[in-house]
Amino acid sequence: MKKLIAAFLGSMVLAAAPVALSAEATRELKMAYDADPVTLDIHEQLSGGILQLSHMTFDPLVRWTSDLSFEPRLAESWERVDENTMRFKLREGVKFHSGNELTTADVKFTFNRLKRSQDFKAIFQPFSGINIIDDYTFELVTSEPYPLLLNTATYIFPLDSEFYSGQTEDGKDKDAISKHGSSFASENLSGTGPYVVTERKQGVRVEFERFDDYWDTESPGNVGRIVLTPIKENNTRVSALLSGGVDFIAPVPPNDLERIKRDKNANLVTMSGTRIILFHMNGERVEAFKDPRVRQAIAYSINQEGIAAKIMKGFATPAAQMSPAGYQGHNESLSPRFDVEKAQSLMKEAGYEDGFTISMMAPNNRYVNDDKIAQAVAAMLARINITVDLKTLPKAQYWTEYDNRAADMMMIGWHADTEDSANFFEFLTFCPDADSGAGQYNAGNYCNPEVDALVEKASVETDLDKRAAMLQEAEKRLYDDAAFVPLHWQDLAWASKKKVNIEPVLNVMNFPYLGDLVVE
Amino acid sequence: MTTATVSRWDRFRESFVWYSFKRDKVAIISFLVLLLMVLAAIFAPLLAPANPYDLAQINIMNSEMPPVGLDGADPAFPLGTDAQGRDLLSTILYGTRVSLMIGFGAVLLQAVLGILFGLMAGYLGGKVDAILMRIADVQLSFSTLMVAIIVGAVFKASFGNLMFGEIAIYMLIFIIGIAEWPQIARTVRASVLAEKKKEYVEAARVMGFGTRRIMFRHILPNTLSPIFVIATVQIANAIISEAALSFLGLGMPETQPSLGSLIKSGFDYIQSGSWWITLIPGLVLVVLVLVINLLGDWLRDVMNPRLYKG
Repeated sequence: MKKLIAAFLGSMVLAAAPVALSAEATRELKMAYDADPVTLDIHEQLSGGILQLSHMTFDPLVRWTSDLSFEPRLAESWERVDENTMRFKLREGVKFHSGNELTTADVKFTFNRLKRSQDFKAIFQPFSGINIIDDYTFELVTSEPYPLLLNTATYIFPLDSEFYSGQTEDGKDKDAISKHGSSFASENLSGTGPYVVTERKQGVRVEFERFDDYWDTESPGNVGRIVLTPIKENNTRVSALLSGGVDFIAPVPPNDLERIKRDKNANLVTMSGTRIILFHMNGERVEAFKDPRVRQAIAYSINQEGIAAKIMKGFATPAAQMSPAGYQGHNESLSPRFDVEKAQSLMKEAGYEDGFTISMMAPNNRYVNDDKIAQAVAAMLARINITVDLKTLPKAQYWTEYDNRAADMMMIGWHADTEDSANFFEFLTFCPDADSGAGQYNAGNYCNPEVDALVEKASVETDLDKRAAMLQEAEKRLYDDAAFVPLHWQDLAWASKKKVNIEPVLNVMNFPYLGDLVVE
Repeated sequence: MTTATVSRWDRFRESFVWYSFKRDKVAIISFLVLLLMVLAAIFAPLLAPANPYDLAQINIMNSEMPPVGLDGADPAFPLGTDAQGRDLLSTILYGTRVSLMIGFGAVLLQAVLGILFGLMAGYLGGKVDAILMRIADVQLSFSTLMVAIIVGAVFKASFGNLMFGEIAIYMLIFIIGIAEWPQIARTVRASVLAEKKKEYVEAARVMGFGTRRIMFRHILPNTLSPIFVIATVQIANAIISEAALSFLGLGMPETQPSLGSLIKSGFDYIQSGSWWITLIPGLVLVVLVLVINLLGDWLRDVMNPRLYKG
């Protein structure tokens, strides 16, 4: 009898084993980023950290593949109806974490909320509306022919409309978007994504569990549980990986690339990046910044090549404009212009030979070596007698200060959300306008309506050559006017243990598709 | 009387302190090293090849140069440079200066407060004693670092960074001084309690001297030896506290590095080749604290009558 039972159990295990391997996500991934997401509301802030969270807990309509083509996600298929309209077919049977089923009502809810979000509305400015055909068919309508419609659709992560509707116990609307405040959405989350947030302590750890009813059953991902720990110190983060404390880290500081390459248990993936790091000069706070000669003097005093070579260890490309090579707006003729003597003479010409004092703020856990870069820039400005009161903050505090334009010079890194040059202008140099969302991240309050008009014209230009010429002209004008201080395009690096197969899920946007991650 | 004609120097040379100092090699070496460091720190502006506080002098292209003797070194930077291109030798000289100033300054403040409160508590006794010592107890139950972190954060938030940079050194002296005074106050109080019952105090009281005069002119000189011993150790402690605070980013700003903030700024590089940014200032800090502690040990041996008279 015993033998019989044993044989029976044995055969059961054998039969069950292959199924368990392919369908069950049982692996655990411990990962360390430089910071954890500052909120759970994916419409509160347009930032890399929040988009990374969006890709873990939600799914977009379409998403970029690593070779920059589009891959259907929640939108199964799409077709152009006319030059202003695109019809999407929604995937059926997709469930939210709350158990609700995804329909076009959710897409409409999300679209309207995006149009309300201070950070996102500028991206959705070209869209005039959404037409619901039936439960699984809808159309996105733009006011003019818009070549970047699908690019923008990568930012539509349908929200659970039922979950986010109604009021909380203390009478607040659940769909309210509150920047840096507490709202229902900033603490609760229901998406269609591969992971559910099970526990979150801001600044300490976030725990994710694989969503049992995840629609994408073909995803090779086998990670059942993710623990994200923010480790701000570069050296500590790398040590945590090499000592085996965590399985996956990002970003990897440039000075540790060699160390990780040498380690036989670690896996390093690098990509040349398109994220521009720059400083804005706020003319509304500092009278001197209104003088183009002072701005030029600052632009001439910054040694971009020095920063890229020394602080970034060559792991960045020195920049003189916003658009990286390969983008339509990239203007080959613009190059970094480091010349201290010229800078000093410009300061003299402008009547600021004796210099002045400014405040500067930079994050210290957002971009690669951000605080060190800010220190180096402060030192370079000392050469033209500008004294800098530098403050570096963790990003959870930095963005609040950033939105308040709390310092005379503020650092920002920008990756074009649409993978297109116009996005840089719209967010970083357009005259700030709270209604349209233009210039939402223009901490310099720089305003040049002519350039804005040029970029707007380019946005609806369908002749690609003409469009490129216009965008390049805009870059040149801003360069001549020294509208901001470009530093470099930051390269990307991730590292993991050998058994964590990160390469297939990484991309140049720096949105790791962790739902598809395979751990051996 | 012969003592009147003997100068203070002669008296010192005949004293037991000098006698034991001459025979203690550790004390001599420690003293010489400390003297050298103090002199180097005092004359830092003359000795240092560059002014590390002047941002206009540093050049990013000189960053992370190794000390002389290693590949890629530049003789202009004998101990190499840090990640921002500062000359490490100059920065260490200036940093030692900051550390020593904070060490001595904080202990001076502790001594003033500690002696005053200790004398009052010990001599006056009763309610004064009870209140002062309970305050001291409460204060001792907070760790120095915790108090310093809270006060430092408040200062930083209310003064802005540039202003904070200018007052940081005084603020650190203030914080560490305030946080540690009970150590000295308790020692003084204990000695005062022992001294108070002796005949010379009775005599002074009978002669009608005021309380203040008896406390400061008669009792205080007799309680000085334990104060010296504890003050020496406290200097070392204050330097360590400052380094710890700076390492946590709450001490001296990066633009005016002390030894602690130098160690912190190099910490990111210690495992990726540029070890000297952390290691050299770290060694300087260890040596500085070590010699002060060794001198403190020696002083304790000398000043403790039971050890040499027994």
